[in-house]
Amino acid sequence: MTQNVSVDDETARQFLEGMLRIDIFEEETKERFGEGEIPGFVHLSGGHEGSHIGMGAAMGDDDWLAVGGARLIGQYIAKGVPLPDIMAELYGRVGGSNKGHGGQMHVSDIGRKLYGHAATIGSGQNPAVGLALAEEIQETDNVAVTTIGDGGTSRGSFHTALVFAAYWDLPVVFVIENNEWAISTPAESLSPDHLSDYGIPHKMATESIDGSDVEAVYHTVSEAIERARNGGGPTVIESRVARLVPHFEGDKETYRDTDEYERLKEEKDPIENYRERLLERDIVTETGIEDMIANIETEVKEAVEFARESPEPEPEAAYDHVYRTPLYGQGENQ
Amino acid sequence: MTREITYVQAVAEAIDEELARDDDVILFGEDVEEFGGNFGETEGLYQKHGRDRVRNTPLSEIGIAGMALGAAVGGIRPVAELQFADFAATAGDEVFNQIPKQPYVSGGKLKAPLTIFAPSGAGIGAGAQHSQSVHSWLGNVPGWVVVTATTPYDAKGLFKSAIRDDNPVFFLPHKMLSETKGEVPEEEYTLALGEAAVEEEGDDVTVVATQLMFHRAREATADLDIDVEIINPRTFAPLDTETIAESVRKTGRLVVVDETVERYGTQGHIANEIVENDFFSLDAPPKTIGVKNVPIPLSPPLEQEVLPSADRIAAGIESLF
Repeated sequence: MTQNVSVDDETARQFLEGMLRIDIFEEETKERFGEGEIPGFVHLSGGHEGSHIGMGAAMGDDDWLAVGGARLIGQYIAKGVPLPDIMAELYGRVGGSNKGHGGQMHVSDIGRKLYGHAATIGSGQNPAVGLALAEEIQETDNVAVTTIGDGGTSRGSFHTALVFAAYWDLPVVFVIENNEWAISTPAESLSPDHLSDYGIPHKMATESIDGSDVEAVYHTVSEAIERARNGGGPTVIESRVARLVPHFEGDKETYRDTDEYERLKEEKDPIENYRERLLERDIVTETGIEDMIANIETEVKEAVEFARESPEPEPEAAYDHVYRTPLYGQGENQ
Repeated sequence: MTREITYVQAVAEAIDEELARDDDVILFGEDVEEFGGNFGETEGLYQKHGRDRVRNTPLSEIGIAGMALGAAVGGIRPVAELQFADFAATAGDEVFNQIPKQPYVSGGKLKAPLTIFAPSGAGIGAGAQHSQSVHSWLGNVPGWVVVTATTPYDAKGLFKSAIRDDNPVFFLPHKMLSETKGEVPEEEYTLALGEAAVEEEGDDVTVVATQLMFHRAREATADLDIDVEIINPRTFAPLDTETIAESVRKTGRLVVVDETVERYGTQGHIANEIVENDFFSLDAPPKTIGVKNVPIPLSPPLEQEVLPSADRIAAGIESLF
């Protein structure tokens, strides 16, 4: 079935380019992790690229993003964090966005209003409510967008955030990226028909959409942000995606049905589907896409070079940033 | 000029003055509006500063603490109340994993100038889940500035500094001290965070105590023929070890009494700082006194049994001579 393209050609090309950027960056990340260059563990975003780019494009530069779930790198890229900053952080280097103190699960960029991540899944939504409260008190029309996976919605803290956001009708957009798997636990075992239904008792606007369609995500999140900006309160969106990668690199995925997995890769790959859609409508050409890929590969290569060349932190830096010192009044009477 | 006010009035004055001084300061928590807090600590603030600045929240410490973190990162200066210090545990992830660690993992780029305050301590028959002193829990998580209040003077001056500080601060008044009176200056003042106070000077033994235990230590030493120096740490994390060490270098003896549980408590940590770094200044082994290693029971005779009493403190001091 041929789907229409509902955005202008330039925006459509940017969407494709954005998704490719995530994919190429992450493929390289996987390689570098495999070679032992990246410490810790790595979760990749395969299948979520449309949800990330659609959401990022819907947000203004001054809107907060508090990321959640496990598919993080794509969200950092979607919020505009430069690739070298992200890659150097994955490497744990001084040039990373967080000077190596955070790593893959904690990239934050306050200047770009990327709050960062609560790596204890499901704890990022109440801070997002607080970010929205701060914007309201400062009388801006900025909003806070926060993501969570299907697994995280079982945490009480997620439901508390809905209570608090509804209590003051704060400008928060909750995006649930439902990829059907909390590591190996299927979301279909959860009771709601759609996870966005969790917003219903709080009288919030709710939407459940095909999150593998970048345009659907873009339009739905844009609408929710617009509503929040204009005092219409919070929205809960379920962005239904397929997880086309292991939970983390090294997960053998013994719990997944092979045929179903192959079917999802065939049908729910946001990049491949969108690529075909744009080609069919002559919005891009094969050559155009090849150029796009070549340019992104160069960007990613430069990001890796930056990370490799960025120094390891001095061990003493472990003691930095625990406290802002002096504490209030400290040392003034000496 | 000074006047006498109660400890809980001092707490309310601190918030009131900071709300008036800085538009970025807001107060929220359960029952902070008309109800005025369980001990009267937020009385009158809602009427004076309005509902935008003083907000009742739904009943969830997770929401209160999590929202405080986001609001602080978002550029305001939240003051959030948990009704009892024990409830730090009901917001466990926010209190132990999120608030103290987010500024650090951001590489210092994220600032969280928030204050959480929560009445702590035993003695009112509130039972095992409303009586604990939690500065040992919090002190074990780097990132929190942990502050206790011992007198009305401390309560006001330290709370104002806590609100102005750019770190997450956990401020712990003691519920048994709510109605105690003390001298507080008429004029504006603040007290430094991270600095212990030498409350009484003496040459024979150093007693480290805060909150209710400070007052019990004074009671305990009143009839002793021993010249006692009493140090009030005020801030437990980061701890002003130097002021304590300097005192022990003079007295040669150390007693640490605190209302945290003895096992893995503050007492052991403070004593260890001296043993490791100033061992040869000691004329006797340090004595540590705290809550016995049981949950705090309700019945008054049981409750008093597990809390350090003036007698236990006096006996502890005398055992060093």
